[in-house]
Parts: sequence; structure tokens; C-alpha cells
Amino acid sequence: MAAGSTYTPIATTTLGSAAASVTLSSISTAYTDLIVIVNTYLSANAYSYMQVGNNGLDAGTNLSVTWLYGYGNSTSGSIRQSNTATPFFDWQGNDQGFGTAIINFQNYANTSVYKTFLFKDASTNTHGELDVGVGLWRSTSALNTIKFTAAGTTFVAGSTFTVYGIQAA
Amino acid sequence: MATNRVSPKKGKVVDIPDAVVTIGTPTAGDASVSVAFTASTPATGGPVQKYTAISSPDSITVSGSTSPVVVTGLTNGTAYTFTVAAANATGNGVFSSASASTTPATQTSFESISTVALSSSNGTITFSSIPSTYKHLQIRMFATGSTTADAYIRFNNDSTATYFCHQMRGGGGGTAQGYSYATQNQMVITSNIGQSSTSFSAAVCDVLDYQNTNKNKTIRSLNGYDLNGSGEAIFWSGAWNNSSSAVSRIDIIMSSGTFGSNSHFALYGIKG
Repeated sequence: MAAGSTYTPIATTTLGSAAASVTLSSISTAYTDLIVIVNTYLSANAYSYMQVGNNGLDAGTNLSVTWLYGYGNSTSGSIRQSNTATPFFDWQGNDQGFGTAIINFQNYANTSVYKTFLFKDASTNTHGELDVGVGLWRSTSALNTIKFTAAGTTFVAGSTFTVYGIQAA
Repeated sequence: MATNRVSPKKGKVVDIPDAVVTIGTPTAGDASVSVAFTASTPATGGPVQKYTAISSPDSITVSGSTSPVVVTGLTNGTAYTFTVAAANATGNGVFSSASASTTPATQTSFESISTVALSSSNGTITFSSIPSTYKHLQIRMFATGSTTADAYIRFNNDSTATYFCHQMRGGGGGTAQGYSYATQNQMVITSNIGQSSTSFSAAVCDVLDYQNTNKNKTIRSLNGYDLNGSGEAIFWSGAWNNSSSAVSRIDIIMSSGTFGSNSHFALYGIKG
């Protein structure tokens, strides 16, 4: 069996001041999988969302997502189909606790198939929500651009966005 | 042959230790190497106060009272050999022969072990002879199939009813549901593979404490599929009711049909 080092940090963005969006671009396609870890806090009660693409964002309605979510004493499942963006961190209340998302893009550079991604995200305020989901980018292009946007507000200073590459043997 | 020298402290003639060190196998670390050796009692120059290891190149010198001596401050990516000598108050004795060459490197906690990328269909993926050097394992798979089916996981080719698993799952518009499956012949790693030749199911499955021979082995798998209008997200937990065996083999098996072309299975090790 081959054994090699992997789980390599590719890029990290730490906001020095509030920003409405963060784009991770020109992501190397040399890895097998990508993992993106986001830790943030919104400046106002809102939600954030993710877009992806190849050498820029896909403006078509080629994203879909299926997820389970729970908050308070309620659980449910939801689907969004033919969207341009995947929602994250849907804060329900009047305060905006920190949110963390871990997103796995598997075989993200494969040019024969669509891209499936798995994610977990949660917000931790008093109205926090936990999501576990799967999404699909219906494109056979390599995925090398990811953008996170705070809808109508900003990510606060100190928010971090890190992308890692995992290389299979 | 030992050489007589004058002790700077007592003014006596004290021999340095003779050749008593046999070099062992060095073990590379992160900017360091652990230098193992054996030593006998010197005929002259005793008692030994310490052992001194010197690197080549860079002549970095570190002393210790027993084997191994860990030499730090090395440059990752540079090949080093080491010699070791016993030392007393007079100084270092006769140095050993040089060790085998070893190269320190940046240490990682997550390493690739083995990968199967299918160019044609296959019903079972096997990872055998799994190294015992990690704390946990992670399977990352991305798969389609010849028919819609679940993918099972078994350890050590054990197909007896020694597995348990539980899931929380759900898709659009429905309430999340949980299920339990006791005394199965396998655990499920991901469900409903094979609904599309282009939209693959994905799973990230952690196999926890797989070397522990005092407790059952547990897995956690986040998996799902999305087909633009239908799909499911599923979170599995499972256990192999075997507390005495370390996991050395993992089989991933389609419950019906075969995994399709472009399916990809990768096994990683996570250090403890």
C-alpha cells in the first residue's frame, strides 16, 4: 500500500474587516477531494449562500441540494432544485451566533461526472439550526471557484474560510 | 584503542571509552531523528556518563543517557546518517559506524493508504492488509451502480450477524426519520447508489479506533445523493460487535448489482 501525506491547506481567508462575500478562486485541481471549512458570524439576522463554478461562477441553474435540518423541537427535510446557490446558516431569530460549515467536494475535478458534495453546518445562537445535506452541481467541468455570500449583510471581521485538498494515493 | 587524557577536573589520567556502541536503525520525525543503538560496558574509560550522537551532514550533536537519542534541529528533506559514542568526563569515546541514511520530513496526521478508481464495474471493493499505525480510518467514496442499491461495509471478511446500524435520513418536504437495524450481516455505508450514471452518491465514513481490541468498532457515515428534485441526506452510525479483533480488512459491497465506472473509493489513516 502506498502511504503519503495529504490533507493539505490550499488557501485561507481571514476577514480583517466585514465583507459581503468571499471568493475562493483558482483552486488547484491537483487533489482528489476538497474540504472547505467556514467559521463566521453575520452582521445582521439573515442567511448566507454558496455558489460554485469553473473559472468563475456558474450563472446557470445547475445546483440542487437536499438536506435535513433541525432547530428547537422541530426536524424536517428540504430540497432546493435548479438553483444558482446553496443556502447555509439560515438564522431564525434576532441574534446571529457563530456558524460553522464543513463541505466535502468529492472528485471535484472529475470531468466525466457531475459533482456531489456533502455538508454539515450549524449556527449556535439561541435559535440555532443544524443542517446535514447533500448537493449536486450538474456540470462536468472541474470545480475551481467557490463563493460565499452574506445575503443583504456582511460576514464579520475574523470570519475564516479555509479550503483543504485531499490527495488519494 | 582508547586514548589517555588528563581529566580537567581532577588532574588524573582518564581513558575515554573504547568502542562499545553498535548503531541501530534511525527513525525519522519532523525535523528530527530518533537514533537507536546498543552499548556494552567499556573495558576502559568507564563508567559511561552519556552517549553522544552526531549527524552527518550538519554535525548536530545531541547527548542522552540511554538509547535512543533524539537529534533535533535537522532540515526536513535532507538525508542524514548518525554516529554514536559513549562519553565520560574526559570526552567522547570511539564513535560507532554510521547509521543507515534517513530523511526527516513534515509529519502529517491524515494520510492516504489506498485507492480504488473503477474504470469498469465491480461488485466488491476490498482494502486488505490495512496498516496498524493509525488511530482512526476514513473512507471517502463517490459511486454509482448498475442498479439502485445500498452499499454495505464489512470488517475482516466477517459475514456473520455481528453488526448493528442506525440512521437518520430524509429528503424534500418530509420529516427526518430514524431507523435501527440490529444483528445484521453488514453495516450500510451509503444508500440508494446507482440512480444516475452522472449524479453519484457520496459518503464520508469514519472507522473509529479500529485497532482497539477491548471494545467494539464503530463507524459514522455522512452520505447522500441529490438528483435535482429528489434525493436524501443520510447520517449512519454502526457497530461491529467484535471487541477482540483489530480491523485489518474492509470490504465495500453493493447489495445488488455492481459499482459503475468512475466510482472512486479511497482509504485514509488518521494518526492518534
